[in-house]
Amino acid sequence: MALVAFCWWSAQNDQLALHETAGEVLVGLVIFRLIWGVVGSSTARFADFLRGPRGVAAYIGELRRGRSEHAIIGHNPLGGWSVAAMLGLLVLDLGLGLFAVDVDGDQPGPFAGLVSFDQGRAIAHVHHWVFNTLLALIVLHLAAILFYAVVRRDNLVGPMLTGAKAAVREATPMKGAPLWRLPVVAAISALAAYVIAQGGKL
Amino acid sequence: MKFNAYWLVAGLVLAAASAAVADNAASVIQARQAHYKQIGAASKGIHDELGKPAPSAAVIQGFAKTIDTLAPQIPSWFPPGSGPEAGVKTAAKPEIWTDAAGFSAVASAFATEAHHFDDVAQGGNIDAIRAEYTNLGKACFACHSKYRAKED
Repeated sequence: MALVAFCWWSAQNDQLALHETAGEVLVGLVIFRLIWGVVGSSTARFADFLRGPRGVAAYIGELRRGRSEHAIIGHNPLGGWSVAAMLGLLVLDLGLGLFAVDVDGDQPGPFAGLVSFDQGRAIAHVHHWVFNTLLALIVLHLAAILFYAVVRRDNLVGPMLTGAKAAVREATPMKGAPLWRLPVVAAISALAAYVIAQGGKL
Repeated sequence: MKFNAYWLVAGLVLAAASAAVADNAASVIQARQAHYKQIGAASKGIHDELGKPAPSAAVIQGFAKTIDTLAPQIPSWFPPGSGPEAGVKTAAKPEIWTDAAGFSAVASAFATEAHHFDDVAQGGNIDAIRAEYTNLGKACFACHSKYRAKED
Protein backbone atom coordinates (compact mmCIF):
# COMPACT_ATOMS: atom_id res chain seq x y z
CA MET A 1 0.00 0.00 0.00
CA ALA A 2 2.75 2.42 0.99
CA LEU A 3 4.67 1.39 -2.10
CA VAL A 4 1.66 2.03 -4.33
CA ALA A 5 1.45 5.51 -2.82
CA PHE A 6 5.16 5.95 -3.37
CA CYS A 7 4.84 4.90 -7.02
CA TRP A 8 2.24 7.58 -7.50
CA TRP A 9 4.35 10.25 -5.79
CA SER A 10 7.50 9.39 -7.72
CA ALA A 11 5.68 9.45 -11.06
CA GLN A 12 4.07 12.79 -10.28
CA ASN A 13 7.37 14.33 -9.27
CA ASP A 14 9.62 13.29 -12.14
CA GLN A 15 11.45 10.73 -10.02
CA LEU A 16 11.43 8.12 -12.74
CA ALA A 17 14.42 6.15 -11.44
CA LEU A 18 12.74 5.78 -8.04
CA HIS A 19 9.45 4.99 -9.75
CA GLU A 20 11.03 2.12 -11.62
CA THR A 21 12.72 0.69 -8.51
CA ALA A 22 9.51 0.96 -6.50
CA GLY A 23 7.62 -0.79 -9.30
CA GLU A 24 10.12 -3.62 -9.39
CA VAL A 25 9.94 -4.14 -5.63
CA LEU A 26 6.17 -4.14 -5.98
CA VAL A 27 6.48 -6.86 -8.64
CA GLY A 28 8.21 -8.99 -6.00
CA LEU A 29 5.49 -8.33 -3.42
CA VAL A 30 2.73 -9.13 -5.90
CA ILE A 31 4.40 -12.39 -6.96
CA PHE A 32 4.63 -13.25 -3.27
CA ARG A 33 0.94 -12.50 -2.78
CA LEU A 34 -0.05 -14.58 -5.80
CA ILE A 35 1.92 -17.62 -4.58
CA TRP A 36 0.72 -17.05 -1.02
CA GLY A 37 -2.82 -17.09 -2.38
CA VAL A 38 -2.26 -20.75 -3.24
CA VAL A 39 0.04 -22.11 -0.52
CA GLY A 40 -0.32 -19.52 2.27
CA SER A 41 -2.46 -19.29 5.40
CA SER A 42 -6.10 -20.24 4.98
CA THR A 43 -7.48 -16.68 4.92
CA ALA A 44 -4.92 -15.60 2.30
CA ARG A 45 -5.93 -18.31 -0.17
CA PHE A 46 -7.94 -17.37 -3.20
CA ALA A 47 -9.96 -20.57 -2.84
CA ASP A 48 -10.98 -19.32 0.62
CA PHE A 49 -12.24 -15.86 -0.21
CA LEU A 50 -13.40 -16.04 -3.80
CA ARG A 51 -17.01 -17.18 -3.76
CA GLY A 52 -19.35 -17.83 -6.66
CA PRO A 53 -22.20 -15.48 -7.53
CA ARG A 54 -24.55 -17.33 -5.20
CA GLY A 55 -22.23 -16.86 -2.23
CA VAL A 56 -21.88 -13.17 -3.00
CA ALA A 57 -25.64 -12.73 -3.43
CA ALA A 58 -26.30 -14.50 -0.13
CA TYR A 59 -23.83 -12.23 1.61
CA ILE A 60 -25.43 -9.10 0.14
CA GLY A 61 -28.77 -10.39 1.43
CA GLU A 62 -27.34 -10.77 4.91
CA LEU A 63 -25.87 -7.26 4.76
CA ARG A 64 -29.27 -5.84 3.81
CA ARG A 65 -30.96 -7.55 6.71
CA GLY A 66 -28.26 -6.01 8.83
CA ARG A 67 -27.00 -9.19 10.44
CA SER A 68 -24.63 -11.91 9.55
CA GLU A 69 -25.82 -15.44 10.05
CA HIS A 70 -22.32 -16.70 10.35
CA ALA A 71 -19.16 -14.97 11.30
CA ILE A 72 -16.57 -14.49 8.63
CA ILE A 73 -12.91 -15.07 9.12
CA GLY A 74 -10.87 -13.47 6.37
CA HIS A 75 -12.23 -11.46 3.46
CA ASN A 76 -16.01 -11.47 3.17
CA PRO A 77 -17.47 -12.57 -0.19
CA LEU A 78 -17.76 -8.97 -1.46
CA GLY A 79 -14.42 -7.83 -0.12
CA GLY A 80 -12.76 -10.91 -1.56
CA TRP A 81 -13.67 -9.86 -5.07
CA SER A 82 -12.58 -6.33 -4.27
CA VAL A 83 -9.19 -7.73 -3.31
CA ALA A 84 -9.07 -9.84 -6.48
CA ALA A 85 -9.96 -6.84 -8.66
CA MET A 86 -7.31 -4.65 -7.06
CA LEU A 87 -4.70 -7.36 -7.32
CA GLY A 88 -5.64 -8.00 -10.96
CA LEU A 89 -5.34 -4.33 -11.87
CA LEU A 90 -2.06 -4.08 -10.01
CA VAL A 91 -0.68 -7.07 -11.94
CA LEU A 92 -1.89 -5.51 -15.20
CA ASP A 93 -0.39 -2.13 -14.38
CA LEU A 94 2.95 -3.54 -13.29
CA GLY A 95 3.02 -5.64 -16.45
CA LEU A 96 2.34 -2.56 -18.61
CA GLY A 97 4.98 -0.60 -16.72
CA LEU A 98 7.62 -3.13 -17.74
CA PHE A 99 7.05 -2.14 -21.37
CA ALA A 100 6.36 1.57 -20.91
CA VAL A 101 8.63 4.20 -22.45
CA ASP A 102 9.14 7.70 -21.01
CA VAL A 103 8.95 10.81 -23.15
CA ASP A 104 12.74 11.18 -23.32
CA GLY A 105 13.16 7.52 -24.21
CA ASP A 106 16.08 7.24 -21.79
CA GLN A 107 14.41 5.52 -18.83
CA PRO A 108 12.08 2.91 -20.31
CA GLY A 109 10.78 -0.17 -18.48
CA PRO A 110 12.99 -3.27 -18.38
CA PHE A 111 11.19 -4.99 -21.27
CA ALA A 112 10.69 -1.88 -23.44
CA GLY A 113 13.39 -3.07 -25.81
CA LEU A 114 10.72 -5.35 -27.29
CA VAL A 115 8.46 -2.47 -28.37
CA SER A 116 8.94 0.66 -30.49
CA PHE A 117 9.09 4.16 -29.04
CA ASP A 118 5.52 4.93 -30.15
CA GLN A 119 4.15 1.64 -28.83
CA GLY A 120 5.99 2.19 -25.54
CA ARG A 121 4.53 5.70 -25.23
CA ALA A 122 1.03 4.35 -25.88
CA ILE A 123 1.62 1.69 -23.22
CA ALA A 124 2.77 4.39 -20.80
CA HIS A 125 -0.55 6.18 -21.28
CA VAL A 126 -2.57 3.02 -20.62
CA HIS A 127 -0.29 2.36 -17.61
CA HIS A 128 -1.34 5.76 -16.31
CA TRP A 129 -5.07 5.16 -16.79
CA VAL A 130 -5.06 1.67 -15.35
CA PHE A 131 -3.42 3.17 -12.28
CA ASN A 132 -6.21 5.73 -11.94
CA THR A 133 -8.77 2.92 -12.13
CA LEU A 134 -6.85 1.02 -9.47
CA LEU A 135 -6.86 4.17 -7.33
CA ALA A 136 -10.65 4.33 -7.59
CA LEU A 137 -10.94 0.70 -6.43
CA ILE A 138 -8.61 1.37 -3.51
CA VAL A 139 -10.76 4.31 -2.43
CA LEU A 140 -13.86 2.11 -2.68
CA HIS A 141 -12.19 -0.62 -0.62
CA LEU A 142 -11.15 1.85 2.09
CA ALA A 143 -14.63 3.38 2.11
CA ALA A 144 -16.10 -0.10 2.65
CA ILE A 145 -13.72 -0.69 5.57
CA LEU A 146 -14.83 2.62 7.05
CA PHE A 147 -18.48 1.60 6.56
CA TYR A 148 -17.90 -1.64 8.49
CA ALA A 149 -16.08 0.24 11.24
CA VAL A 150 -18.67 3.00 11.68
CA VAL A 151 -22.01 1.47 10.74
CA ARG A 152 -21.45 -2.16 11.62
CA ARG A 153 -18.92 -1.63 14.41
CA ASP A 154 -16.70 -4.25 12.91
CA ASN A 155 -12.96 -3.58 12.95
CA LEU A 156 -11.56 -5.26 9.86
CA VAL A 157 -8.06 -3.82 10.01
CA GLY A 158 -6.92 -5.33 13.31
CA PRO A 159 -7.47 -8.93 12.20
CA MET A 160 -5.76 -8.18 8.88
CA LEU A 161 -2.59 -7.20 10.70
CA THR A 162 -2.59 -9.78 13.47
CA GLY A 163 -4.53 -12.62 11.88
CA ALA A 164 -6.55 -12.96 15.08
CA LYS A 165 -10.24 -12.26 15.42
CA ALA A 166 -11.80 -12.42 18.85
CA ALA A 167 -14.94 -14.21 20.01
CA VAL A 168 -16.43 -15.66 16.90
CA ARG A 169 -18.46 -18.74 17.45
CA GLU A 170 -18.90 -21.54 14.99
CA ALA A 171 -16.25 -20.07 12.71
CA THR A 172 -13.19 -21.94 11.61
CA PRO A 173 -10.17 -20.01 12.80
CA MET A 174 -7.38 -19.14 10.45
CA LYS A 175 -4.99 -21.96 9.73
CA GLY A 176 -1.52 -20.58 9.39
CA ALA A 177 0.74 -22.02 6.75
CA PRO A 178 3.87 -23.86 7.90
CA LEU A 179 6.39 -21.20 8.80
CA TRP A 180 9.09 -22.51 6.45
CA ARG A 181 6.96 -21.56 3.47
CA LEU A 182 7.31 -17.86 4.27
CA PRO A 183 11.06 -17.49 3.54
CA VAL A 184 10.86 -19.94 0.63
CA VAL A 185 8.07 -18.06 -1.14
CA ALA A 186 9.73 -14.72 -0.30
CA ALA A 187 13.01 -15.89 -1.84
CA ILE A 188 11.29 -17.17 -5.00
CA SER A 189 9.42 -13.85 -5.35
CA ALA A 190 12.53 -11.74 -4.80
CA LEU A 191 14.49 -13.75 -7.37
CA ALA A 192 11.66 -13.53 -9.91
CA ALA A 193 11.36 -9.75 -9.39
CA TYR A 194 15.12 -9.37 -9.80
CA VAL A 195 15.14 -11.28 -13.08
CA ILE A 196 12.19 -9.20 -14.34
CA ALA A 197 13.93 -5.96 -13.31
CA GLN A 198 16.97 -7.04 -15.31
CA GLY A 199 14.81 -7.40 -18.41
CA GLY A 200 14.69 -11.19 -18.21
CA LYS A 201 18.42 -11.74 -17.84
CA LEU A 202 20.05 -13.33 -14.80
CA MET B 1 -12.84 57.19 -48.90
CA LYS B 2 -9.60 55.99 -50.31
CA PHE B 3 -8.31 55.80 -46.75
CA ASN B 4 -11.16 53.44 -45.74
CA ALA B 5 -10.57 51.20 -48.72
CA TYR B 6 -6.96 50.76 -47.62
CA TRP B 7 -8.11 49.78 -44.17
CA LEU B 8 -10.59 47.34 -45.65
CA VAL B 9 -7.91 45.68 -47.71
CA ALA B 10 -5.53 45.62 -44.74
CA GLY B 11 -8.26 44.11 -42.56
CA LEU B 12 -9.02 41.41 -45.09
CA VAL B 13 -5.36 40.54 -45.45
CA LEU B 14 -5.03 40.38 -41.67
CA ALA B 15 -8.11 38.16 -41.31
CA ALA B 16 -6.88 35.82 -44.02
CA ALA B 17 -3.45 35.74 -42.42
CA SER B 18 -4.78 34.92 -38.97
CA ALA B 19 -6.98 32.15 -40.39
CA ALA B 20 -3.91 30.80 -42.09
CA VAL B 21 -2.00 31.04 -38.81
CA ALA B 22 -4.70 29.08 -36.94
CA ASP B 23 -4.70 26.47 -39.67
CA ASN B 24 -0.99 26.52 -39.70
CA ALA B 25 -0.70 26.11 -35.92
CA ALA B 26 -2.14 22.60 -36.13
CA SER B 27 0.35 21.51 -38.73
CA VAL B 28 3.22 23.23 -36.89
CA ILE B 29 2.29 21.34 -33.72
CA GLN B 30 1.98 18.04 -35.57
CA ALA B 31 5.35 18.50 -37.23
CA ARG B 32 6.90 19.45 -33.89
CA GLN B 33 5.53 16.32 -32.24
CA ALA B 34 6.76 14.16 -35.12
CA HIS B 35 10.24 15.65 -34.72
CA TYR B 36 10.26 15.10 -30.98
CA LYS B 37 9.18 11.51 -31.51
CA GLN B 38 12.18 11.06 -33.78
CA ILE B 39 14.42 12.33 -31.00
CA GLY B 40 12.67 10.16 -28.41
CA ALA B 41 12.89 7.08 -30.63
CA ALA B 42 16.59 7.73 -31.26
CA SER B 43 17.15 8.14 -27.52
CA LYS B 44 15.34 4.87 -26.83
CA GLY B 45 17.39 3.24 -29.59
CA ILE B 46 20.59 4.28 -27.81
CA HIS B 47 19.22 3.05 -24.48
CA ASP B 48 18.23 -0.31 -26.00
CA GLU B 49 21.62 -0.70 -27.68
CA LEU B 50 23.48 0.10 -24.45
CA GLY B 51 21.41 -2.59 -22.72
CA LYS B 52 22.65 -5.30 -25.06
CA PRO B 53 25.54 -7.57 -24.04
CA ALA B 54 27.71 -6.18 -26.86
CA PRO B 55 26.43 -2.73 -27.89
CA SER B 56 27.25 -1.64 -31.43
CA ALA B 57 28.92 1.78 -31.62
CA ALA B 58 27.81 2.12 -35.25
CA VAL B 59 24.12 1.79 -34.33
CA ILE B 60 24.50 4.37 -31.56
CA GLN B 61 26.36 6.72 -33.91
CA GLY B 62 23.41 6.72 -36.29
CA PHE B 63 20.99 7.69 -33.51
CA ALA B 64 23.42 10.29 -32.14
CA LYS B 65 23.59 11.91 -35.57
CA THR B 66 19.78 12.08 -35.73
CA ILE B 67 19.59 13.85 -32.38
CA ASP B 68 22.48 16.17 -33.18
CA THR B 69 20.82 17.17 -36.46
CA LEU B 70 17.41 17.85 -34.93
CA ALA B 71 18.44 19.50 -31.65
CA PRO B 72 19.57 22.89 -33.06
CA GLN B 73 16.24 23.17 -34.92
CA ILE B 74 14.16 23.03 -31.74
CA PRO B 75 13.62 26.82 -31.28
CA SER B 76 12.25 27.00 -34.84
CA TRP B 77 9.54 24.46 -33.94
CA PHE B 78 7.92 26.92 -31.54
CA PRO B 79 6.67 29.91 -33.57
CA PRO B 80 4.38 32.30 -31.65
CA GLY B 81 0.82 31.00 -31.65
CA SER B 82 1.76 27.32 -31.51
CA GLY B 83 1.14 27.03 -27.76
CA PRO B 84 -1.99 25.88 -25.91
CA GLU B 85 -3.90 28.86 -27.40
CA ALA B 86 -3.83 27.13 -30.80
CA GLY B 87 -6.65 24.89 -29.61
CA VAL B 88 -4.76 21.77 -30.63
CA LYS B 89 -3.62 19.25 -28.05
CA THR B 90 -0.07 20.17 -27.11
CA ALA B 91 2.05 19.79 -23.99
CA ALA B 92 3.95 22.98 -24.84
CA LYS B 93 3.54 25.35 -21.89
CA PRO B 94 2.90 29.09 -22.35
CA GLU B 95 6.19 29.71 -20.48
CA ILE B 96 8.04 28.82 -23.69
CA TRP B 97 6.97 32.20 -25.00
CA THR B 98 6.53 34.20 -21.79
CA ASP B 99 9.98 33.11 -20.61
CA ALA B 100 11.59 33.07 -24.03
CA ALA B 101 15.08 33.73 -22.69
CA GLY B 102 14.91 30.79 -20.29
CA PHE B 103 13.54 28.49 -22.97
CA SER B 104 16.19 29.57 -25.43
CA ALA B 105 18.88 28.88 -22.83
CA VAL B 106 17.80 25.26 -22.12
CA ALA B 107 17.19 24.61 -25.83
CA SER B 108 20.68 25.74 -26.78
CA ALA B 109 22.15 23.81 -23.83
CA PHE B 110 20.43 20.73 -25.26
CA ALA B 111 21.82 21.39 -28.73
CA THR B 112 25.32 21.74 -27.26
CA GLU B 113 24.92 18.50 -25.30
CA ALA B 114 23.51 16.68 -28.35
CA HIS B 115 26.52 17.77 -30.35
CA HIS B 116 28.90 16.75 -27.59
CA PHE B 117 27.17 13.36 -27.30
CA ASP B 118 27.53 12.89 -31.04
CA ASP B 119 31.27 13.59 -30.73
CA VAL B 120 31.61 11.05 -27.93
CA ALA B 121 29.56 8.51 -29.93
CA GLN B 122 31.79 8.94 -32.98
CA GLY B 123 34.72 8.14 -30.64
CA GLY B 124 33.24 4.63 -30.37
CA ASN B 125 34.10 4.02 -26.68
CA ILE B 126 30.98 2.35 -25.23
CA ASP B 127 31.81 3.22 -21.60
CA ALA B 128 32.28 6.88 -22.51
CA ILE B 129 29.02 6.81 -24.51
CA ARG B 130 27.18 5.27 -21.57
CA ALA B 131 28.44 7.99 -19.23
CA GLU B 132 27.59 10.79 -21.65
CA TYR B 133 24.13 9.33 -22.35
CA THR B 134 23.15 10.16 -18.75
CA ASN B 135 24.01 13.81 -19.44
CA LEU B 136 21.99 13.75 -22.64
CA GLY B 137 18.97 12.50 -20.66
CA LYS B 138 19.47 15.31 -18.14
CA ALA B 139 19.50 17.84 -20.98
CA CYS B 140 16.13 16.49 -22.25
CA PHE B 141 14.77 16.69 -18.73
CA ALA B 142 16.05 20.23 -18.12
CA CYS B 143 13.59 21.53 -20.68
CA HIS B 144 10.76 19.02 -20.20
CA SER B 145 10.54 19.63 -16.47
CA LYS B 146 9.93 23.36 -16.99
CA TYR B 147 8.34 23.86 -20.38
CA ARG B 148 6.42 20.64 -21.02
CA ALA B 149 3.03 20.06 -19.37
CA LYS B 150 2.46 16.86 -17.43
CA GLU B 151 0.11 14.37 -19.02
CA ASP B 152 -3.19 14.21 -17.25
